[in-house]
Amino acid sequence: MSIVDLTSMAEPEGEAQKKVNEIIKGLKEDIPNDCYQCGKCTSGCEAFILTELEPHKVMALSKSGFIDELLNSSEIWTCVTCLKCKERCPQDLAPVDVIFAVKNIAVVSGKQIDSGYSNMLQAVLGTGFIQSPKEVVDRENNAVTREGLGLTPMKGPEEIAKLQQVLMKAAMETLR
Amino acid sequence: MARIGVFICHCGTNIGGVVDVDELVKFSSKLDDVVHADDYKYMCSDPGGKVIKDAIEEHDLNRIVVTSCSPRMHEPTFQSVIEDAGLNRFCLEMANVREHCSWVHKDEKEEATKKAKDLVAMAVRKAKTLEALTSFQKDVVHDALVIGAGIAGIQAALDMAETGKKVYLVEREPSIGGRMAQLDKTFPTLDCSSCILTPKMMDVARHPNIELLTYSEVAEVDGSVGDFKVKVKRKPTYVDWEKCNGCGECAQVCRMKERVSDEFNEGLGKRSAIYVPFQQAVPLKYTIDPSKCLMLLSGKCGDSPPCQDVCELGAIDYQQEEKIIELNVGSIVVATGYDMLDASDMYEYSYSRSPDIITNLEFERLISSSGPTSGHVHRLSDGEEVKSVSFILCAGSRDKDHKEYCCRIGCMSALKQAYLLRDHMGEDLEINICYTDIRSFGKGYEEFYRRIRDGRSNFIRGRPSEIDVDEDGKLIYNIFDTTTQKLLEVRSDLIVLVPPLVPRNDSGELSRILRITEGADGFFLESHPKLKPSDTTTDGIFIAGCCQGPKDIPDVVAQASGAAAKAMGIISREELESDPMIAWADPDMCVGCGVCVDVCPYSARELNEVMGIAEVDAILCTGCGGCIASCPSNACIHKNMTKQQILRMIDEVI
Amino acid sequence: MDLDKIGLYLGCLIPTEQYAYELALREVLPEFGLELVDIEGPACCGAPLRHINLSLTMYLSARNIALFEKEGLDILAPCPYCHQALSEAKDIMKKNPALKEKVNTYLKEEGLEYRGTNEHFHLLDLLHDEIGIEKIKESIKEPLEGLNIAAHYGCHLIRPNDIPRPDHSEDPQKLETLLKAIGAKSEYYNEKLDCCGAHIFINDQESALTKTGQKLEAVQKHGFDGMTTMCPWGQRMFDAKQDSAGQTVGASLSLPVIYYIQLLGLAMGKEQEKLGLHLNKSPVDKLGSKEED
Repeated sequence: MSIVDLTSMAEPEGEAQKKVNEIIKGLKEDIPNDCYQCGKCTSGCEAFILTELEPHKVMALSKSGFIDELLNSSEIWTCVTCLKCKERCPQDLAPVDVIFAVKNIAVVSGKQIDSGYSNMLQAVLGTGFIQSPKEVVDRENNAVTREGLGLTPMKGPEEIAKLQQVLMKAAMETLR
Repeated sequence: MARIGVFICHCGTNIGGVVDVDELVKFSSKLDDVVHADDYKYMCSDPGGKVIKDAIEEHDLNRIVVTSCSPRMHEPTFQSVIEDAGLNRFCLEMANVREHCSWVHKDEKEEATKKAKDLVAMAVRKAKTLEALTSFQKDVVHDALVIGAGIAGIQAALDMAETGKKVYLVEREPSIGGRMAQLDKTFPTLDCSSCILTPKMMDVARHPNIELLTYSEVAEVDGSVGDFKVKVKRKPTYVDWEKCNGCGECAQVCRMKERVSDEFNEGLGKRSAIYVPFQQAVPLKYTIDPSKCLMLLSGKCGDSPPCQDVCELGAIDYQQEEKIIELNVGSIVVATGYDMLDASDMYEYSYSRSPDIITNLEFERLISSSGPTSGHVHRLSDGEEVKSVSFILCAGSRDKDHKEYCCRIGCMSALKQAYLLRDHMGEDLEINICYTDIRSFGKGYEEFYRRIRDGRSNFIRGRPSEIDVDEDGKLIYNIFDTTTQKLLEVRSDLIVLVPPLVPRNDSGELSRILRITEGADGFFLESHPKLKPSDTTTDGIFIAGCCQGPKDIPDVVAQASGAAAKAMGIISREELESDPMIAWADPDMCVGCGVCVDVCPYSARELNEVMGIAEVDAILCTGCGGCIASCPSNACIHKNMTKQQILRMIDEVI
Repeated sequence: MDLDKIGLYLGCLIPTEQYAYELALREVLPEFGLELVDIEGPACCGAPLRHINLSLTMYLSARNIALFEKEGLDILAPCPYCHQALSEAKDIMKKNPALKEKVNTYLKEEGLEYRGTNEHFHLLDLLHDEIGIEKIKESIKEPLEGLNIAAHYGCHLIRPNDIPRPDHSEDPQKLETLLKAIGAKSEYYNEKLDCCGAHIFINDQESALTKTGQKLEAVQKHGFDGMTTMCPWGQRMFDAKQDSAGQTVGASLSLPVIYYIQLLGLAMGKEQEKLGLHLNKSPVDKLGSKEED
C-alpha cells in the first residue's frame, strides 16, 4: 500500500474488506461496499446519539482498510442492533452486519471484548441459555419464582456437553 | 455452389489481443466451401473494405463471412462493401467474435480462440445456404404524429411543421404545456418558465401545419415505418370547443367551485368541475371533469346547471361522446414526459403525516406567482409565516429501494428554489439544503451553485433518517453532517423533499401500443445509449424528453429537435426500402389455421380463403417472428433464418 | 385457522424472568382452540451471540427449528429477537443449500436434521393473520373502551425488510389493528419505531436506560394511557426498569406498560393473576381506573 494515515502512521490493510465479507458471506447477502457516504445511517443511528458509534464511518474504514482502528474501538460494542441503518440504507447496505463482522474479527484476533457478551457465551455453552430462571419480585415486592407461579420447569438441551462440543466446532470452523 | 470468403477483423486489440487470429485464419481456410480466408486490423475501415472487395473479384467469392463485432454495429457497412463488389447484400453472414467472445473471455485466451473457431464454423455453415434477397419499395406518408405536448413535444412539432410537413400533436390534458408550464423559474438563468414557454404554445396554436388534438390519447397503432395507422381517442370535454370563447363565466358559477383538487397546482389549490388547467392554457377552452360534475354524475345540478345557464354561446353539451380519430402518419415522436415518485412511499419522511412536508414540484406551484398562494410561501397546515425551510435532496433517488438513478435535476432545482426563497423572503429566512453530492454538470450550473454557496443558505452534507412532526405541527429531523462531523437537530416550518422523476405510471401501456421497449428503470429505451439517443427499437418511432430518462430543459429541447430531425429523415422521403428479411408461409405446409393472422401485430397476415393458406403482405411484415413461434405446422419461415439453417449451425458445434 | 397445536419456543428471557408473558400466553391462546406444545431440548436462539460469532447464531437457530420439525410442529416464537433469528437462519439456508448441508452435518451429531418444512410465527402474525381479527373480536367480553395505548413493536419484529417479517418495516399497523379489536385506540407517535435500549443494557446501562427513559417520556407526554408490547426485551426495559429509566433521564414516569396478550386476556374477562398482571412493575392498575372513567 502506498497510503499512510499521518495522524496515526497506520497503513491500511488491503484485505480488510475481504475479511469482513468472508464473515458475512453465505450468512448474509453478499455485501458489496458501494457506500457513497450519504450518512443516512448515522443520522438515524440509535447508538450514535449516546455512544458516538458512526456506522457510515465503519463502512468507510472497513472499505479503506483502516480496520485496526475499528477492532480496537469500544464504539463497535455499543451498537443497539435497532437495524435502522440496514433498513434505510439507500444502497441496501447493512452497516449493522459489518459491525457484527468487525466484532467477530475482534474476537478471533484476541482483542479485548466486552465482558457482557463473553459472559453470555459462557452461559449458553454451560446451560444452553443466556440465563437461568430467576427469582423476581412482583409489584408488591413479594419474591416470585417460576415454580411458585405454577409454571413447568424449563426443558433445556438434554446433553449439554454434546451441544457445547458442536457449538465449539461450528465457531472454530466458521460456517459459510 | 457456394464459394465462401472469411474475413477476420482484429478490431485493434479488442479481438486480436485475445483471440489467436492467425490460428483462426488457418482454421477457417480449411472449412468446407471456404476458398479464401484473410485478416485485417480494422475490417470496417476503407482499406479493410478493399481487402474484401479485391478478394471477391480475385477468388470469385459469392458468400461472405465477416468475423468481427455485433451486426448491430457494422452489418450495414459490410453489406455495402459486398454490394459494391457486385454481390447481393444478403449474402453476408457475421460472426460476432468481439461481444460474444473476446470481450467476455479476455482472461481465457485459449478457450476464447476455441470459441471463436466455433462461431466462425457456424457462420460458414449458415453462409452456404444464404439466399439472395431483394428489397421492395414502399410509399411514405409525409405526415407526422407527436405524442405529448410538453416542451419536448411542442419543440418537435414546431421543428417539423416549420419544414412544411403536417404534424398531428396529441395531448391528453385539456391544454398543452406539460410540466414546464407548472414550473416557476428555470435554472440557472432564472428565466420565467411560462414567459419562455407560452410564446411557443401560441406558435403551436397558430401554426397552419399543426393539428392539435388535446384531451386525446393514442389508443392503437398499426402498420410500420413510413405508414403508421393510428387511432386517437378524443375524450368528451362536454363543451363545444367550436363555440367556447374561454370567457370562464361557467367556472365562476359552477357549484363545485373551489371544491375540486387542482392537478395543475399539484393539489395545493382548488378548481371548479368545469375548468381550464391554467390561465395561459392553449387552447383556452373549458372542459368538464366528468368525475366531479354533478350533472354528469347524477344527471342533476340544482334546478338547472348554472354553467349552462350562464353560457350565452350555448357551448355546454352534456351529450358529447368520445370520438375515435384515425390518422395515417409516416413517423411518430413520443414525448410523454414524466411523473414524480410518490413521496408517501418514503414512510420515514412522513410526507403523508404533515401538509408542511411537500415535494419539489409542489414547491414550484407554491412559489409561483400564478400559483394558489400567488407566490407567497407560508405553512400549508396553518398559514403561519415560514422562518425555516429545509430541502432534502436525493429523496428516493440513488436509492435501491426506490429509484437507483440520479434524477439529474434535483440539485440544481433545489439551488434555484433557495435563490428564489431568499429573493422573495429576505435575509432572515433560514434555508437548509441537505445534500449528498451537488451535481452541477450543465452549462452555467457550477457558476450558479457558487452563487448560492456564497449566500446564507446552510449546506448540510448528510441525509436525515426520518422526519418527525411534533405536537405543534413543527417539523423536526436529525441529520449527521459529514463535513462538521456533528449530529444536528433541525426544526423547520416547511420541508421540501426532492424526489426523482419517474416514468409515467401508464408508460407500460403506451410502450405496448407503440411496440417500443422500456429499460429496467421503466423509461422508454433508446436504441443506442450514445449514438442513437432518440431512436427506439421500432423503426420510424422516436423518443424525446423525459419519457426517455430524467433530464433538464436544455437537454429535453435538444433531444426533441434531434428526434424531429430523425422523423423528418423518414417522412421527407418519397419511398422507403422495405427490409426483405421477413417471414413467409410455405404453401405446401400451411393448413390455413389462421393462428398467425391473429398473432401478427402488424396486420401483415391474411387468410386466403380460396386456397386455404395464409398470405404475407411483404410491406407490412417486419420479420418479428411471432408467426414462426406460433405456427403449429412449421409453415412460417423466416428468410435467411430458417429452422434448418439454425439447426445446421447448432450441428456444427455439438 | 388450520392450526390446532403449535410448538412453543420461548427462548431465554421469557422463561427465566418474563413470567407474565408466559402465563398470559398459556392462559389466553388455548381459548382460541390452540394447543401450546412444550418440547425437550430447545436452547438459546443464538441472536445474543451474533457479536461473538455469526455462525453460532445461525447454528443455534437451525437447531431449534430442527427440534420442532422433528416433532412435526410449527413454532410460536413470542420473542421478536428469537423470531428474527429463526427467520434469518431459514432465509440463509434457503438461499445457500451448501451451507444447509454443512449445518446438517453438525446437527447429525445430535441426531437432528434441518429440512425447513415447518413454519414459525410470532404472536403478532399468529393473532392477526392466523387466528384473525374477527375471532378475537368475538372473544371480547369487556372491551377496553376509552384507552389510548401506544404500540411498541420492537425492532426485530419488523426489521430488516430483506427477510420475511410479520409486519411492514416502516409502517406496521397490525398491533394497532389488534388494539382496536379489543376496543382500545392507538394513535401514531413519532417514537413508534424507536429502540427500547435493551440491547446495550448488558454493557452500558446508562445509555440503555437513557433510550428507555426517552421513549417512555415521549409516550407519556403524548398523553397515552399506557403502552403495549409484544417483546420481552422491550417489556423488561419499559416496565421492570421504568423507575431507573426515569431517574436516568430525570423524568417522573408513571406509565402502565403491558403485554398485548395481557390486555387481550383482560378484555376477554380473564383473572388478573392468571395473566401475571401482578408481575408488571409499572402502574398497570391505572388502566382499569381510566377505563371506568
